[in-house]
Amino acid sequence: MSLLFTPVIGLEIHVQLATASKIFCSCSTDYIGAVPNTNVCPLCLGLPGTLPVLNAKAVEYGVRASLALNCTVRNATRFHRKNYFYPDLPKAYQISQYDLPLAEHGFINITSEDGTLRPIGITRLHLEEDAGKLVHGTSDGRLTGASQSFVDYNRGGVPLAEIVSEPDLRTPAEARQYVSVIRQLVRYLGVSDGDMEKGSLRVDANISVKCSDGRWGERAEIKNMNSLKALERALEYEIKRHIKMLSEGKIIIQETRHWNDSQGITISSRSKEEAHDYRYFPEPDLPPLVLPDGYVKEQLDKLPELPWDRKRRFKDTYGLSEQDSATLTENRDMADFYENCLISGGSPERTANWLRTEVLRVLNENKMELKDFPISSHIIAEMIVMMDNRKLSNTAAKEVFEHMIENSSDLHSAMSLCDISAGGIAGDQLRDLVSKILEQNNDVVRVIRSGEDLNGKKQKYLKGLVMRETRGQADPSEVSWILASLLENN
Amino acid sequence: MDFYRLSAHEICRKVKSGEITARETIESSLERINSLEKGLNALITRVDERALEKADRVDRMLSAGEDPGLLAGVPVVIKDNMCVQGIRTTCASRILGDWKPPFTATVVAELEKEGAIVLGKANMDEFAMGSSTEHSAFGPCSNPWDPDRVPGGSSGGSAASVAAGYAPISLGSDTGGSIRQPAAFCGTCGLKPTYGLVSRWGLVAFASSLDQIGPFARSIEDIALTLQVISKPDPRDSTCNPSKRPDYQSVLDQSSLKEKKVGIVKEFMDYDIDPEVREALEKTIEVARSEGAEIVELSLPVMVRYGLATYYIIAPAEASSNLARYDGVRYGISSEEEDLMDMYLKIRGDGFGEEVKRRILTGTYVLSSGYYDAYYLTAQKVRQIMTSEFKEAFSRVDTIIMPTAPTPAFRKGELLDDPIQMYMADVFTLPINMAGLPGLSLNAGYSRKGLPLGVQLIGPKWGEMQLLAAASVLERSFGPSLIAGGDQ
Ligand SMILES: [Zn+2]
Repeated sequence: MSLLFTPVIGLEIHVQLATASKIFCSCSTDYIGAVPNTNVCPLCLGLPGTLPVLNAKAVEYGVRASLALNCTVRNATRFHRKNYFYPDLPKAYQISQYDLPLAEHGFINITSEDGTLRPIGITRLHLEEDAGKLVHGTSDGRLTGASQSFVDYNRGGVPLAEIVSEPDLRTPAEARQYVSVIRQLVRYLGVSDGDMEKGSLRVDANISVKCSDGRWGERAEIKNMNSLKALERALEYEIKRHIKMLSEGKIIIQETRHWNDSQGITISSRSKEEAHDYRYFPEPDLPPLVLPDGYVKEQLDKLPELPWDRKRRFKDTYGLSEQDSATLTENRDMADFYENCLISGGSPERTANWLRTEVLRVLNENKMELKDFPISSHIIAEMIVMMDNRKLSNTAAKEVFEHMIENSSDLHSAMSLCDISAGGIAGDQLRDLVSKILEQNNDVVRVIRSGEDLNGKKQKYLKGLVMRETRGQADPSEVSWILASLLENN
Repeated sequence: MDFYRLSAHEICRKVKSGEITARETIESSLERINSLEKGLNALITRVDERALEKADRVDRMLSAGEDPGLLAGVPVVIKDNMCVQGIRTTCASRILGDWKPPFTATVVAELEKEGAIVLGKANMDEFAMGSSTEHSAFGPCSNPWDPDRVPGGSSGGSAASVAAGYAPISLGSDTGGSIRQPAAFCGTCGLKPTYGLVSRWGLVAFASSLDQIGPFARSIEDIALTLQVISKPDPRDSTCNPSKRPDYQSVLDQSSLKEKKVGIVKEFMDYDIDPEVREALEKTIEVARSEGAEIVELSLPVMVRYGLATYYIIAPAEASSNLARYDGVRYGISSEEEDLMDMYLKIRGDGFGEEVKRRILTGTYVLSSGYYDAYYLTAQKVRQIMTSEFKEAFSRVDTIIMPTAPTPAFRKGELLDDPIQMYMADVFTLPINMAGLPGLSLNAGYSRKGLPLGVQLIGPKWGEMQLLAAASVLERSFGPSLIAGGDQ
C-alpha cells in the first residue's frame, strides 16, 4: 500500500502599514530610494533617553485590516519587548505584541481549485515595528563571510501588521492564492501598498507534512520568498523534500530554511542564528492601549466595500461575466473608475469591455497606475455614450482615445484634431463620399456592374475604401446599403 | 562673595532685582566647585564656559527688560544620566565613551527655559545602579560631611553638589531610592515624585517602570519651586500624566498638620536600624504629633517582607533590556572584531562595570523562558498586591513617615564586596517606587559624628501637595538643610 502525504501550511505575513510616519516617532516611512540613515531621529536610532509614542494611524490601519479579516479586535491590548541582539535592531529589542494581540480569531475565504470558497483561519494580527536593513559586503548579501557590513535605519520603526494564519492551507497554489487575497485586501483598505518585491509585504511559511501511516514531520519555517512565484516554488520544493524524507524513513528536524530563488532550493539556516530566547516582557514605556468606546464600530462603518463583495455586486447588478467582474474589482481604483464611468452614463457592458481591453492595455504598456491615467472616467463615459448612440464607431473611438493618451487632450479637441465629428458621416454626406470613391475606381465599378464580381470581393474592397476614407465614422451597414444602391442604378 | 549659600528663591529674587548678576552667582558657584571638587568628585563633566555664557544671557535679558523665568540665574547640577544636547553624557559608564546627545531631556529644557544654568553633570553609580556612588567609571564621589564616607547613591553627585553648596538645586533620578537615600546621607531634601509626574524623555533608562526624575534642594520651598518647573505634561513620554499640575508652592505657608493623620509602619518600627536613625525617626513622629497630627499605626506586611526581593527581579529585568542597546554599533566605545558576537562580548565586557553586569545577568535570567513565570510574573503580581496595600493604607492616613535608610552614610568600601547588604540600604525606599508613590527625604538632624540623619515621608499617588505641606511643617522645626563645610 502506498503512503499518502498531506502538506500542512501556515503563513505569517508582515505587512508594512502605509502611514506617513513611523510607528513610534514622527520620521517619514518613505525609505525606498532615500539616502541611508536620513529618515531617522534619536528614537528610531535607539539613542539612550528616548521613549516611544504610539502612532494612532498605525492602530487605525491595524484595526481596519483586522475587521476586514473578520477578526475580533481587542479593546484593551498592550505591547511587549522582544529582546535579541542584531545590528539592524538599534534598541536590541523590537516593540511588538505578544499575549494580547490587537486582533484574533478571523478568517478569509479563498477559492479552492474546484471553485468553492474555503475559509482560511486567521490566528491573529498584531502590530510591531520594522527593523533597519543590513547591507553586507558579500556577493550573496548574507552576513556569513562579509568583511564589512552597513546598516541603514531608514526602515527601522516603519509600522508592521503581522498576520498569522492557521495551518489551514494544503497546497502551494492555495498559499499563493491566500497571499494574493491578503494583498488585494490591504490595498483595497488603503492600509498598505502590499508590494512583495519592494518588501512591503513579506511572507514566511511554516510547513509540515502528515503521512497516512500516522507520522507527522516537524515543521520547517521558510523565509526569503520575495514573490508569489517564489512562495509557490519554495513550498513545492519543501513538500517534495519532506515527502522524500518521510518516504525514506528519515527524521525531519524543526528548522528555519532560506529560499534561494536562483538555485530553486531551500537551505538550512545555521542553528546558531536561531537559538533565540526572546525574553518577552511588557513594554514599560507604553501604557496599555485601550481603544475608546465606539472606536471599533466607527472603523467598521468606515470600511470600504471589500473586493469579493464588490465583485459579486458587479456580476449581479451590472450583469458582467465572472472574468470581467474579477478584472474590474482586482483593485479599488479600477472598480471606482468603472463605477464612475457608469455614473457618467456609460453602459455597463461596453464600459467593461472598453476598460478591460483599451484602458488596461494602455496601463500595462506604459507600466502606469490608474491614478496617473490621463483620461478621466467622465470622458471615457462620454465616448461610450457616443458609441452607445452610434454616433461614434469603435474604430473612431480608438483613434480619439490614442490621441487623448498621447496628447492628454480633452475629448472634443481630440475629435476635431482627428477630424472626426460626433454623429459620424451619414446620409447625403456619405452618399457623396461613396460616389466620389466609385468615380475614382471606375475600373472596379465596371467589373462589378458587368457581373463578374461573383463572390462580392470587389464590392467589399470598395466598402473598405469608403470606411478608410470616413475613418470609421460611418455606420458600416449604411455604407453597404448606399454602395449597393449606387452600384445598381447607373 | 558667598552667593553659593543662597537658595534658589533668593538667587532668583536678587538677580531679578539687580542686587546681584547671574554671572556673579555662577562665578561664586564655580569658585566653590574649584575649592572642593578635588576632594568630592561630585561632577563627571563641568561646563564652566557654557554656564558663564548662559549667565550672561540671563543678565542681558534682564537689562533688556525681559523676564528670564522662575529660576533666573539659578545654578543647577544634572545627574549624568540626563541628556543635554552637546554635553557629554556618560551615565558614569565606560561604555558610552564621549557620547554627546543630539537632544536635551525635557526636565533640563524646562529648567533652562526658566533661566536656570547648568553647571555640570553629576557623578553617579553606573547607569544608576548602586547606593553609594562608588560604582562609577569616574571614581567614587565623597560625602561632603565626611570624605571617608559615601554620599549615597545612585544620585550621589547630585546630592553632594547641593550639600556642598555647588548649587542650591540639582536633579537626580530615583529607581529604588536613588534620590532619597543620598539626600538622607548628605543632609538635603530630595523628592521622588509620583511615577508619571515628571517626563522621562532624555533620562537614560535603568528600569522604565520605576525610574522617576526629582529635585534635590536645601529647603522644601526650593523643592516645590523646582518641581513646579520640571513636572509639566510631556507628549514625548507616554507614561507622563497629561493633566495640568497644581501650584505646588501654594501649600507651603498655610500648611499645618492639624486634623492630619500620619501613618507609621509597625513592621519597620521593629526593624534593625541604626539607633540614631531611630531617634531621628521618633523625634520626627513627636514633632508631627505636636503639630497636631494624629499618629496611626499601619501594617504593610507584603511590602516589608517581599519589597526588596520583588524589586530585585523587576528592576534588573527591565535593566537587562534597556541596557541591551549598548552594543558599540552606533555610539559609545567601539571595537573592530572579525565576528559580530566577538564585538558584542568585547564592547559589553569592557564597557560595563561589575554591578551593572550583575544586574544584567539577573535580569536576563528572570526573563528567560522557563523562569519568567516563577520570577518576573510572580514579582509583578506581588507588586500589584503591594500597590493595593499602600492604597488601602492611604485610605486611612494622609502621610506615612518611615526611615529613608537604615543607617547614616557608611564608609567607602564598607559594603562594596557585599551586594546584598548594599541592596539593603534601599529597603525603605524601593517599595515606594514599586507602588509608584511620591517619597521625600528630609534632614531631621545630625548624628553624634556629625552625619546627617534623614527621614522619609510618603504620600499617596499624585499626593505631592500634601507631601510638601507636611514636609514644610516638619522643616519649620528642623530648620533648612545646612551646607557641609560651611560656617554653621
Ligand atoms: Zn525616528
